[in-house]
Amino acid sequence: MIKGIGGTVLWVNLTKGTIQKRPLDEEIVRRYLLGAGYLSRMLTDMIPVGTDALSPDNVLGVATGLLTGSMFPQASRHVIAALSPLTGIWGESHAAGFWGAELKLAGYDAMFFTGASPRPVYLNIHDSDVELRDATDLWGRDVFETDDILRRRHGLLCRVLSIGQAGENLVRFAAIMNDRDRASARSGLGAVMGSKRLKAICVRGTGAIEVADPERYLAEMREFHRRMLANPFTPQRAKYGTTNLVELMHHIGRLPSYNFKTGVFEGYEKISGERIAKEYLIKPRSDWCCLQRCGRYTAVREGPYSYEGGSPEFESQSSLGSRCGNDNLESILYAHHLANMYGMDTISLGGTISWAMEAWEKGMLTADDTGGLDLSWGNHEVIVRLTKMIAFREGFGDLLAEGSYRAAQRIGRGSERLVMAVKRQEIAGQEPRAQKSMGLAAVTAARGADHLYAFPILDEVGFDEEIKQRHGEQYLPEMSDRLSPKYKGIMVKESEDYMVVVESVGVCKYGTQIPPEFYYDDIAEALRIHNGLDLTAEDLQTIGERIVNLNRLFNVARGVSRKDDSLPARLTSEPAPAGPPKGQVVELEQMLDEYYRERGWDLKTGIPLDSTLERLGLERL
Amino acid sequence: MTTLQFVFGDPRVCTGCMICVNVCSMRYYRVLSPERSRVRVVRLDHGLDFPLFCRNCEDAPCIAACPRNALKRGKNGVITVNSRFCDGCGACVEACPYDAIRIHPDTGKAFKCIQCRECVDWCPVGAIWMTTEEQLSQRDAEGGLRRVYEENASYIYQRRKNA
Repeated sequence: MIKGIGGTVLWVNLTKGTIQKRPLDEEIVRRYLLGAGYLSRMLTDMIPVGTDALSPDNVLGVATGLLTGSMFPQASRHVIAALSPLTGIWGESHAAGFWGAELKLAGYDAMFFTGASPRPVYLNIHDSDVELRDATDLWGRDVFETDDILRRRHGLLCRVLSIGQAGENLVRFAAIMNDRDRASARSGLGAVMGSKRLKAICVRGTGAIEVADPERYLAEMREFHRRMLANPFTPQRAKYGTTNLVELMHHIGRLPSYNFKTGVFEGYEKISGERIAKEYLIKPRSDWCCLQRCGRYTAVREGPYSYEGGSPEFESQSSLGSRCGNDNLESILYAHHLANMYGMDTISLGGTISWAMEAWEKGMLTADDTGGLDLSWGNHEVIVRLTKMIAFREGFGDLLAEGSYRAAQRIGRGSERLVMAVKRQEIAGQEPRAQKSMGLAAVTAARGADHLYAFPILDEVGFDEEIKQRHGEQYLPEMSDRLSPKYKGIMVKESEDYMVVVESVGVCKYGTQIPPEFYYDDIAEALRIHNGLDLTAEDLQTIGERIVNLNRLFNVARGVSRKDDSLPARLTSEPAPAGPPKGQVVELEQMLDEYYRERGWDLKTGIPLDSTLERLGLERL
Repeated sequence: MTTLQFVFGDPRVCTGCMICVNVCSMRYYRVLSPERSRVRVVRLDHGLDFPLFCRNCEDAPCIAACPRNALKRGKNGVITVNSRFCDGCGACVEACPYDAIRIHPDTGKAFKCIQCRECVDWCPVGAIWMTTEEQLSQRDAEGGLRRVYEENASYIYQRRKNA
């Protein structure tokens, strides 16, 4: 019997309006853990090849991790997955907050939504009472209104997960929001929820999480807390969150600017974390048992962009800022706030707008296409306007709501070359010519362009000690050199395996990857005292590998192979024009070869070899 | 007479992580459960996270309200519940102006903070501390902290209505 979990999974058939409770299959947990790994196994088996992501045949899975709701530092996370309407392949997204812990306290580890409801509904969970309720009055409401209404109706202490108008309107990069400003943003899963006419999941859990080793629990957790707080990164993180990455990344030429034309941005100081901390920060905020406190609470007090609310973080600053040539910080903060309110991924939002801005600059888009909007670089009024128009699919916003890949397909005129995406998902805020590992990670990630699936950062600011520990001294100095392609295949493979484990236990990449304070041994120890699971570091690493290979098989079954593991030509053939990476391109093929070899995947096709699948106990789909 | 101490927190500093809540339920009831914790944290708009504790009132309406004399103030000034006398009638819960006493869902008895300060030791941001009314007045000489509590009293002390 695994401890520290709810033990029950909810199965909701939205077509029929029925709810079933089934015990969690612990055998699956032993092979795939919970969270991302569990959803990978379950959904891979449930979603037929050929399914349209926005049809009732898609299945939306939500899961907490094994440690979600525990006292391990940053154990606040849940995972959502489905076939992605943006990429057509594996779609997965994660968020922190309190919602996941609340679900555990109500007694549940995961839930699956099949079919589609004929009318808008929401799921209301109060411990063992679970019901689908009419959401007609919520449909059309934004994320904050939905949160207000549901907590007024069901209690202030409820935790709400919902979509905003973007999800309802099937924006292909719509997010699923929880606790108001936490976002499962990538992969467009908000549109899947919208297509199922599921508006929200409101949870109140008054139960208790029983841990495996209550005797040692506090002492062990205290030591994890002590280490996290003593880490030199922690005070910085608390002070700036991720917002000061703007200045750090500008200085290493890794700040995507002007749709990835360059990695330096002349206006970086105007949109910096330092400025946010000085002028707009009210205070840092935590999610459940979070010691990193990267969450922000901010406000713009006057003017057209005034608001008050949670966040932002680096990705929003770069995507809505430098990437669009926009140095008006208040507009960035406000557009980001609107994206939370309507429920949209700010990375794809800014990525799509910046694509349009470059197409405008090159004359591929004109006022006839945009309905008169002037898409000049840095036109912050238009960025804010488009944020709303996309969420509501108004005018030109209707085209951009499809994401940059589909929009370019429709416009043509050579604008396809300007799409900065991998497998149809917009690349996040890491200019890969300035950090080669990020270029590789973006193409190997299961959900399309993504910095988090691997989150390779050991080369970001030279974690040489950790490289020694995790890989071995023989890989230095090349592995820690951002601009060297050497050993990056090895690093990305290792990072992916570890990060999917992290997403399966429900803790954060902060603390496990940056700073790299906790590693497999620590996770294994936490799983022992919290869950009573006796898994070694090696077991966990193998599980990580198994999950990554399973995600690959999901995508291979949908046509993905080496040909799709590619970057926009700009990044592999146009030398970076400025800053420290000046003259650099991404040597992708060389890194991919190393990566496939390391993975045990066929070098020509990028498909897992029989011997690899056999070793991991996986079968082809 | 003994100086009455209690734990108090600054909602402008508290980040809302709920570590205090979990430490408490684990220490006393060996589970992680906000419902079984003697402290609660309420997040409100405007960036306020209220960590809320027994205030160890001098007039202690909880003691007066108990029909079975189950609540007593000890020599150390701490008010404790004698589980042998408590029958879970909830009179103290009703009487407490701070929603700081609750009926434990498993034992059916009243339970409350006994100022053990374990949570104070764990708080990663120093948002909670042990204090007396007098020390609090000195620390909050301009009254800003108390004002934040007063302004939000109807939310933070109405928990049972909203739960």
